[in-house]
Amino acid sequence: MRRPSTPRAFLLTLAAVWGVLPAFAAVPDYVREVKPILTQHCVRCHGAAKEEAGLRLDTAANARLGGASGSVVRTPGGRESLLLAVVLGTHEDIPAMPYKKPPLGAAEIALLKAWVDAGAPAPEQEEPGRFEHWAYRSPARPAVPAVAAAPAGWTSNPIDAFILQRLAAVKLPPAPEADPVTLLRRAALDLTGLPPTPAEVDAFLADRAPGAWERAVDRLLASPHHGERWARPWLDVARYGDSNGYSIDAPRQIWKYRDWVVSALNRDLPYDQFIVEQLAGDLLPGATVEQRIATGFNRNTQINQEGGIDPEQFRIESVLDRVNTYGTAFLGLTVSCAQCHDHKFDPISHRDYYQLFAFFNSSVDDGHGGRRSRSTGVLTLSPEGRVDEGLEARVAEAQEKLEALFTAHAAAIEAWRQALPAEKRATQRPASVRAALDVPWEKQSFAQRRSVYPLARPGDADFKALSAALTELQRAVPGAITTLVMEELPEPRPSHLFVQGDFTRLGERVEPGTPAILPPLRAAGPRPNRLDLARWTADPSHPLTARVIVNRVWLQYFGLGLVETENDFGSQGIPPSHPELLDWLATEFTARGWSLKALHRLIVTSATYRQSSNAREDLALVDPLNRLLSRQQRLRLDAELVRDAALTASGLLVPRLGGPPVYPPQPDGVMSLGQVKREWKASTGEDRYRRGLYTHFWRATPHPALAVFDAADGFSSCTRRLRSNTPLQALTLLNDQQFYEFAEGLADRVLRERPGAPLPEQLAHAFRLSTARRPSAFERDRLASLFARRLAAETGEPAARQRAAWIAVARVLLNLDETITRE
Amino acid sequence: MNPTLTPQNWPDFLAARTRRHFLSRCAVGLGGIALASMLNQARGAGAAPAGPLAPKPTHFPARAKNIIYLFMAGGPSQLELFDYKPKLAELNGQPIPQSFIEGKRFAFMDSSHGTRLMGTRRQFAQHGRSGMWVSELFPHTARIVDDLTMVKSCQATLFNHAPAKLFMNTGSGQFGRPSMGSWLNYGLGSECQDLPGFVVLQSGPRGPRGGAVNWGSGFLPTTYQGVPFRGTGEPILNLTRPAAVTADGQRDALDALRDLNLQRSVATGDPEIATRIAAYEMASRMQSSAPELIDLKAESAATLKSYGIEDQRPSFARNCLLARRLVERGVRFVQLYHTNWDSHGGPGENLQADFEKVCREVDQGQAALVQDLKERGLLQDTLVIWGGEFGRTPMGENRDTTGRNHHIDAFTMWFAGGGTKAGQVIGETDELGFNAVRDPMHVHDLHATILHLLGLDHTRLTFRFQGRDFRLTDVHGKVNHQLFA
Repeated sequence: MRRPSTPRAFLLTLAAVWGVLPAFAAVPDYVREVKPILTQHCVRCHGAAKEEAGLRLDTAANARLGGASGSVVRTPGGRESLLLAVVLGTHEDIPAMPYKKPPLGAAEIALLKAWVDAGAPAPEQEEPGRFEHWAYRSPARPAVPAVAAAPAGWTSNPIDAFILQRLAAVKLPPAPEADPVTLLRRAALDLTGLPPTPAEVDAFLADRAPGAWERAVDRLLASPHHGERWARPWLDVARYGDSNGYSIDAPRQIWKYRDWVVSALNRDLPYDQFIVEQLAGDLLPGATVEQRIATGFNRNTQINQEGGIDPEQFRIESVLDRVNTYGTAFLGLTVSCAQCHDHKFDPISHRDYYQLFAFFNSSVDDGHGGRRSRSTGVLTLSPEGRVDEGLEARVAEAQEKLEALFTAHAAAIEAWRQALPAEKRATQRPASVRAALDVPWEKQSFAQRRSVYPLARPGDADFKALSAALTELQRAVPGAITTLVMEELPEPRPSHLFVQGDFTRLGERVEPGTPAILPPLRAAGPRPNRLDLARWTADPSHPLTARVIVNRVWLQYFGLGLVETENDFGSQGIPPSHPELLDWLATEFTARGWSLKALHRLIVTSATYRQSSNAREDLALVDPLNRLLSRQQRLRLDAELVRDAALTASGLLVPRLGGPPVYPPQPDGVMSLGQVKREWKASTGEDRYRRGLYTHFWRATPHPALAVFDAADGFSSCTRRLRSNTPLQALTLLNDQQFYEFAEGLADRVLRERPGAPLPEQLAHAFRLSTARRPSAFERDRLASLFARRLAAETGEPAARQRAAWIAVARVLLNLDETITRE
Repeated sequence: MNPTLTPQNWPDFLAARTRRHFLSRCAVGLGGIALASMLNQARGAGAAPAGPLAPKPTHFPARAKNIIYLFMAGGPSQLELFDYKPKLAELNGQPIPQSFIEGKRFAFMDSSHGTRLMGTRRQFAQHGRSGMWVSELFPHTARIVDDLTMVKSCQATLFNHAPAKLFMNTGSGQFGRPSMGSWLNYGLGSECQDLPGFVVLQSGPRGPRGGAVNWGSGFLPTTYQGVPFRGTGEPILNLTRPAAVTADGQRDALDALRDLNLQRSVATGDPEIATRIAAYEMASRMQSSAPELIDLKAESAATLKSYGIEDQRPSFARNCLLARRLVERGVRFVQLYHTNWDSHGGPGENLQADFEKVCREVDQGQAALVQDLKERGLLQDTLVIWGGEFGRTPMGENRDTTGRNHHIDAFTMWFAGGGTKAGQVIGETDELGFNAVRDPMHVHDLHATILHLLGLDHTRLTFRFQGRDFRLTDVHGKVNHQLFA
């Protein structure tokens, strides 16, 4: 789904119908109203630093003076001034301004016009304006605007005051409140990802006491399914997956991290703590098992197990991915450009980037996922969830003893290897041993050495004993639960700039540090580490952290963030639609102890949230993208929730939380699309009916019912899913084996729960199970006619015919646009 | 003011409703226009295409409309097929001069073998009026050389399979970028209302490395991603209705669904519902058009014989014929993957019997495809691309049997039709076949040139994501005008 996004055309239309712009009776105040616009949008290219086209707009005098094309504010012969022409994009030769950026808002253009029309008055003595990007300044707490004449039910909540203030400025009334059933389904899907049951709807409708809405919201926030619903967007950001990616895409165990996120959200772990534990839980004094599991955030990188790779290259890829993900997840900045060069538009320098890199460059994991003698950041847990330190330590100890043996005989084995005749080499089996013999001893992996050693030194009793002991220990490991965690090397690796991002071309050495444009880092020790970075990030005065997360939470509720470019708060991003509201929310969030549940409650109890999502024809011209939020938004459910909604309606859902990934059925042949053909053995029993969150996610060959509904791919950090609308989605809902099972489940459930009831009542029940509301007369009649047609077409026993006709009705209900949409 | 809704009048009903809703929106974008045309078509044909895939204008007149990309997965050895190097044979067994390899990085760079030159054991001859060199392994392809532009100086950046294959498809070794087929459907829309605009067919012993990301849509909407078709059985996942549902039952369900969705579209005014109604209609048409597509009954015995299709089994040759049938039906981008060209030497991957086998698997089908397209007048609008993610080194890898390592400094690709010049060779390699010494053509240049043939300026085909405008060619790419007729 792409929105028709041509704001420039919109403005041209506005220009044509000038009347709709806010009228300004008085001449605008240059210093207070005009100069900030010029400073914000023009001065970076037309200022002291860079005089594009010989023009500076940092003072009114400079604007009057003009540049290569003359004065920009004079209006010769009643024609538009140059300034107006270029911001409207109507000039024949000069491209629309701001250059390659979103155009100014209607109100801003109106201010400029009024100012130019009045002859561009300004004080004599003027300090030149200097560009300073809003997002790099800490948010100041704005006053909540006073709103006169609010509609009923509004201004109960400061959010509404900010929204109403903007709507009043363009004389738009907000939309009416959605009906209660739509509202409850909206909140249930938004807060738990599961539609409400008919009983829950009835209870909500029956609660006439004041505070019914708040009670419903609190009940949903307390549900254990809340954590499942909100874990998913976070796991998208964390690029979670259950396989190693790249071409081999072997399975991996890291679901303990997924369960950690669900649990952290359910117990409302304060967001600052949430950050610290994920970025540096392993470095916390006395780190708990849970805190170490949380560091899986940084282990969701891909691992390349292809033959012939340079492991160092892919270790570095992982570190780069950690830097980029850190920038996207916490700072809302696209730092990756600075990997190769100074960021073209933002003040994140090449050096800043590699200073961040240095924080992540000293973990123990290698680039190949191989196991050398030392641990590579794998935590082994007993089924009860305790770390089996004993086992891990014993494996490591056995490996170290073998390594010692290998080291002791290194020179002799290498000499033997080099002297080995080609014919002898060629007859070795299996192929992995042949391959190992081609690699110098020094560079062989532990496994390779273990296979080569007995060839070079047959009959070495020490080796036999140690190797057998290790095998015995390793046999105990596969049954154990493992999870990938961050673990620091005893000595940090040196970090360097990479010239043009190429890791083979080392530039100057860098130490860990944070971007110069942001507040300074205070390190606890002599050399800053990940824990220092985490604490710096989670500081309440950090200009980005709180704004970025409240904006991402907001976008889940309204489809778009207050900053539409939720992953780019930099100067290339789109400025916030409601800057004061964003800052108010950010400061409110930190003031309430970084409580995400408090933030959810604040948003969901606002009148803004409770508006109807129906389209409004009166918005077409003034606010086609609904940036001013004079209505709610219809949002197609995320991939996992499409499944969950159908599962819930069918009554088949197994609501158990957590545990290893599951394998709901999928069409044959999906797994053969990757390089390595893997088996997908469909789960039977309860695991067949778990929520979409738990479906095993193969990065190279994701479950098609997830991929087709735009699930995140797990390759890189994803802050907002697209919402496409395609024929393949239609085929999935219509024909997929599981969705057919769900339709059978829904049909059986209706016959079970409303046996012998009149058809209209049965239909209403089925409709409520799918959409929460009762059908209209047209809808009920249309379904009744389908039922009658199918009943007549079916043959056989009456009960079988009735069931078949009900399955037809259930399939239609589960395919409804409304069923897979949050209205 | 709303008339009664019936299955017969739904397009008019929807039109009346959405006209009110959208005519006022025309000024704000293409959405209204696309929908208006959709509704016109819906009324005319009783069927509506999805909005995002509606045909879009090119930047300048196009030379080609469709692409058939024969992707030789694994990296075929140009030195055994097209790039004839007698000098290499003469120096067989000698170490490669240090000047060639200094400062270079290779796949399997730790391995101790693979530094000695190895001449080909294959016989080469010149063919056609153009006198192009082709080895004995491609007898059928040798007969179509006068229809080809052969580029011997292709260059890539990455030398491991998965990243290199991604690079060839998306212009980047990183996951998450859209593939060329996605970019083209995004830029041009689809001319086909019954099938997806980007179809992928696969053959050979295993899937291509990296899998579905090679035809993914990255950050573009999934509407534009490649849809893998299987050459036999059910061509698209979930295409077949559930076993217990009859054709009538399916139609009845779809009719009821459309009416109820329409009712909701009226109630909410959300244009997404109109798109969803159209998507269901397209899905319904695909249920008949896709099985019809893979049913080769209508093809003559002579056609099947020319491709070398002897039975119902999936094969590259069969996929070549399906590719022709797909472009006949207006599918914009058809991509065929065939494995395994990864000739390192050793069992299954040697330059002896294994290489001969994979050559036999593709030779007749690819030559027949070009010939067939030409005879049917489709070649002028269809660009055929042949090549892998990289080539192979002039140095040999001597295991039980011989092979060659991955090579990115010079390899051969060929093109036919779609406005390319027939019967020419572009570029040249040094006497060992190591470096491109004339007219090097990097993957980015290749992408820029292909987009140009389709009427798109590679610098103007952009999508804004994560705060910047992305292109298939990133910040690179030069259009190579030598390719054009």
